Amino acid sequence: MRTLYLALKYLAVTLWSGFVIFPFLWMLTTSFKTANGVTGGATWLPWLQYQPSLGGWQSLFGGAGGVNIVRPYLNSLVVTLSGSAIALILGTLAAYGLSRFSFRAGPIRNGDITFFFISQRIMPPIVLAIPFFLMLRWLGLLDSLPGLILIYVALLMPIAVWVMVDFFNTIPRGLDEMAWMDGCPPVTTFLRVILPNVMPGLVVAGMFCLIFGWNDFFFAFTLTFTKTQLLPVSIVALNSSVTPWWALSAAAIVSVAPLAVLAFVVERFLSRGGLAGAVR
Amino acid sequence: MLVLRDLSLTEGGVPHLAAVSVEAEPGRMTTLLGRTGAGKTTLLRAVAGLVQPQSGQISLAGNDWSRLPPWRRPVAMVTQQFINYPHLSVLDNVAFPLIRRGEPREAAREAAAAMLGRVGLAQMTGRRPAALSGGQQQRVAIARALVKRAPVLLLDEPFVNLDYKLREGLREELAELLRSQSDTVVLYATTDPREALQMGDCTVLMAEGRVLQAGPPRAVFGAPATLEAARVVNDPPINLLAAEITQSGLVLDHLGPQSPGATGRALPPGRYTLGLRAEDIRSGGPLPARVALTEVSGSETVTHLMAGAQPLVMLERAVTDHRLGSELGLMLDLGKALVFGADGALILKGASHG
Amino acid sequence: MAEIRLQELAHAYAPGAPHALKPLDMTWRDGGTYALLGPSGCGKSTMLNIISGLLHPSEGRVLFDGQDVTRLGAGQRNIAQVFQVPVIYRSMTVGQNLAFPLVCRGGPTPRIRQRVEAIAERLGLTPLLKRPANALTADQKQLVSLGRGLVREDVAAILLDEPLTVIDPQMKFELRRILKEINAEFRVTMVLVTHDQTEAMTFAEEVIVMNHGEVVQAGRPRDLFERPATTHVGHFIGSPAMNFLPALAVAGRAVVPGTGLSLPLPDGLPTDGLVLGFRPEHARLSGASGTMQGRVARLWFEGLDEIVALSHPAGEVRLRAPAGLGLAPGDTAAFTLRDTALRLYRNGRLVA
Repeated sequence: MRTLYLALKYLAVTLWSGFVIFPFLWMLTTSFKTANGVTGGATWLPWLQYQPSLGGWQSLFGGAGGVNIVRPYLNSLVVTLSGSAIALILGTLAAYGLSRFSFRAGPIRNGDITFFFISQRIMPPIVLAIPFFLMLRWLGLLDSLPGLILIYVALLMPIAVWVMVDFFNTIPRGLDEMAWMDGCPPVTTFLRVILPNVMPGLVVAGMFCLIFGWNDFFFAFTLTFTKTQLLPVSIVALNSSVTPWWALSAAAIVSVAPLAVLAFVVERFLSRGGLAGAVR
Repeated sequence: MLVLRDLSLTEGGVPHLAAVSVEAEPGRMTTLLGRTGAGKTTLLRAVAGLVQPQSGQISLAGNDWSRLPPWRRPVAMVTQQFINYPHLSVLDNVAFPLIRRGEPREAAREAAAAMLGRVGLAQMTGRRPAALSGGQQQRVAIARALVKRAPVLLLDEPFVNLDYKLREGLREELAELLRSQSDTVVLYATTDPREALQMGDCTVLMAEGRVLQAGPPRAVFGAPATLEAARVVNDPPINLLAAEITQSGLVLDHLGPQSPGATGRALPPGRYTLGLRAEDIRSGGPLPARVALTEVSGSETVTHLMAGAQPLVMLERAVTDHRLGSELGLMLDLGKALVFGADGALILKGASHG
Repeated sequence: MAEIRLQELAHAYAPGAPHALKPLDMTWRDGGTYALLGPSGCGKSTMLNIISGLLHPSEGRVLFDGQDVTRLGAGQRNIAQVFQVPVIYRSMTVGQNLAFPLVCRGGPTPRIRQRVEAIAERLGLTPLLKRPANALTADQKQLVSLGRGLVREDVAAILLDEPLTVIDPQMKFELRRILKEINAEFRVTMVLVTHDQTEAMTFAEEVIVMNHGEVVQAGRPRDLFERPATTHVGHFIGSPAMNFLPALAVAGRAVVPGTGLSLPLPDGLPTDGLVLGFRPEHARLSGASGTMQGRVARLWFEGLDEIVALSHPAGEVRLRAPAGLGLAPGDTAAFTLRDTALRLYRNGRLVA
């Protein structure tokens, strides 16, 4: 009875894993195929069913009519990481302020300010694209890394504020006051007492920022021309009249890689009990 | 000496503190007694610098504190909620204030461990606060407050969220711990009159942001200056009987004429209020009353009764089981009643109290 | 509404594991109020879960009005439960919350409305009926949880699992009053689980004191106070706690050396581990001589009276004395105690 139950459980888990892994496997095999390999039915076994080729991968470095994505890849990393980091820092500070102090400007209160931040993400991106374009042009930062970072900070900060306000609100104000009375000025209180207790929030907010930043295509596309291309744009540039599935698959794998690493790290953090017990 | 002079704080039209003056001496416990909303917490928070009074002065041994931010004031505080640093172990929680003020980490941890031993948590030093029971969490908070040896210790209803057995034990432990800190000014806020009288060397009665009366517990309890003070200092609640003294004698509004001289001394005719303590009502008398509710706490039973239209509260030093709705005959010992004039001021202190 | 009978009930969480609930037999009268009192981990929640059907006992039977429900699930038992944290349907109004158990079972709408209104009236929730339940205070939410149990006329029992934990101290008094009145009026069997002595003693006709998975004593609050079955109960119930002094067997009596405290020993009782106990409330201060004399070690002024700690070579005892006797630490004081107020314990258990 017990063994049967276990066997069923493992069967279910195995089936589900297959279901999840399947697209990746397909992507992987496709990346080593050629035009001949992708036509006709699904094939899995290299050399037996199809002739493997490195053509797809070579095209990522500019070979065989491809596009060199090394530069855009690095650009994307720089923009996403620094944009996320700045957004996270600014957003966390803003969120702490919104959670701890009462602001008033006429009828506008804390809740309205928080909503204002979030509302940036409710608008369709196209509404923002033109003003962003004009502002960057005015600053002379179109098609440049600093310009992109600036835009990403503006795009990602609402996410950080949104996530962090909730986390700060779960921490009783009494904790801040207790730290003051234990001799910590406000900045020390924030760094030593409050931040350690919102680590899970920082991880969640950071993760969202990185994912959104990394995956953004729209702004990367509208605010750059040729000099400072980002990965999603150059992947699209790989496309041509005959869809090069092998090159796209290879590109998809490399672009998914950082997120996979991120998922792995976050999973470690969570399974170590990073979320549990930190906030009562 | 901690001197609070004319502290006033009004917020949104509500006076949280109205010209409050209190003097508290080191080595003695000053208890602030009042109901929820009487201004006790606000007063403690003002001393800690967590709220800014609009006027008035706070000074310790002649040094003005009014301009100091909380992190510069040498205070320690324990609140009703068990507040500890969730991310630190019990040991590091208690060592935290010492480390923050620059003591070497090892020395701080040793002092913390010693203090945790004294509050009976020697076995728990490695745990996180969230893994402890309520009583243990509050002990951690007490240890953290005491380890600093701050000259001013503020205790805001520290045991209110615990059951009476734990409260009883912790009160004694606290008194014991404080005995070694004879240069500390201790302010202890509570809503429980017994706790205030039992623990305090000086009791300050508060209501609606004002100080009603201050003095040694026996004096305050024995002769509350006003009706309001009598209400604050009695638990179970004091019975208030509206009365009139006429030529023919004492007449209670709801209970009718009483024997002449029931209140001990002759009083001029007029309107009065008698304050009869719950203990001065006994069962086994002529006055019929119906049981509305009985509460058993500790070793005693508090019975709420209705004698006609007069609500009465009776305290018995035993566990009894008067059934809801049953009839009892009561004896009111009016000779022990406090007599208040029409303006609420105490006129006559009952026999044999304090 | 039902009488609840627990027959040779016991529970271990795994076969062969130690009992989380040691074997017990108990009958709870229809319409009675009961309290399971003990510290966390004493087995009271295990017992509650067995009665509600969330847990199937490893031994014994649960009978509702003589009918075996041991194997029935929680849904089939007609039990209503109020939890520590109020459980309400946040998306509904107070009225919809109260009506929900009836609506689920189906029934004519006017009847449901009538019943809901009657219960709301009784609980003082009438002005809140149209309000979203989400907007209530914790104590109001708890009343709504209770009301959802009460609307069902067929409810066998209402189980209250530490329902006052999250309630403001000021509101606890009020809720205790309402609970008591509800029981007096509806005569529905109610079982309260709590670690708070005041709550248990105030609420229940019969208090079941539990410790280490075992029923230590079950009795009226008065019995727990007057005749604690163990020294543990004597400590746990009452404030200040009961006094206990070690006693020796002398000429057929248990005697606390150096005092007049003594009780005849029952025949055949071994003479080791004897302890005499009495309540602080039963002793009367009597000047210089009495049943026992000691030195005043400490005084706690409580207003109406004073707790006096007397030290004596046999141990420290506490008494409750009227305030204003003018005692001071260091004074010699004595008290008298009637033999009928004295209890004899052997190895922690009451023998006489």
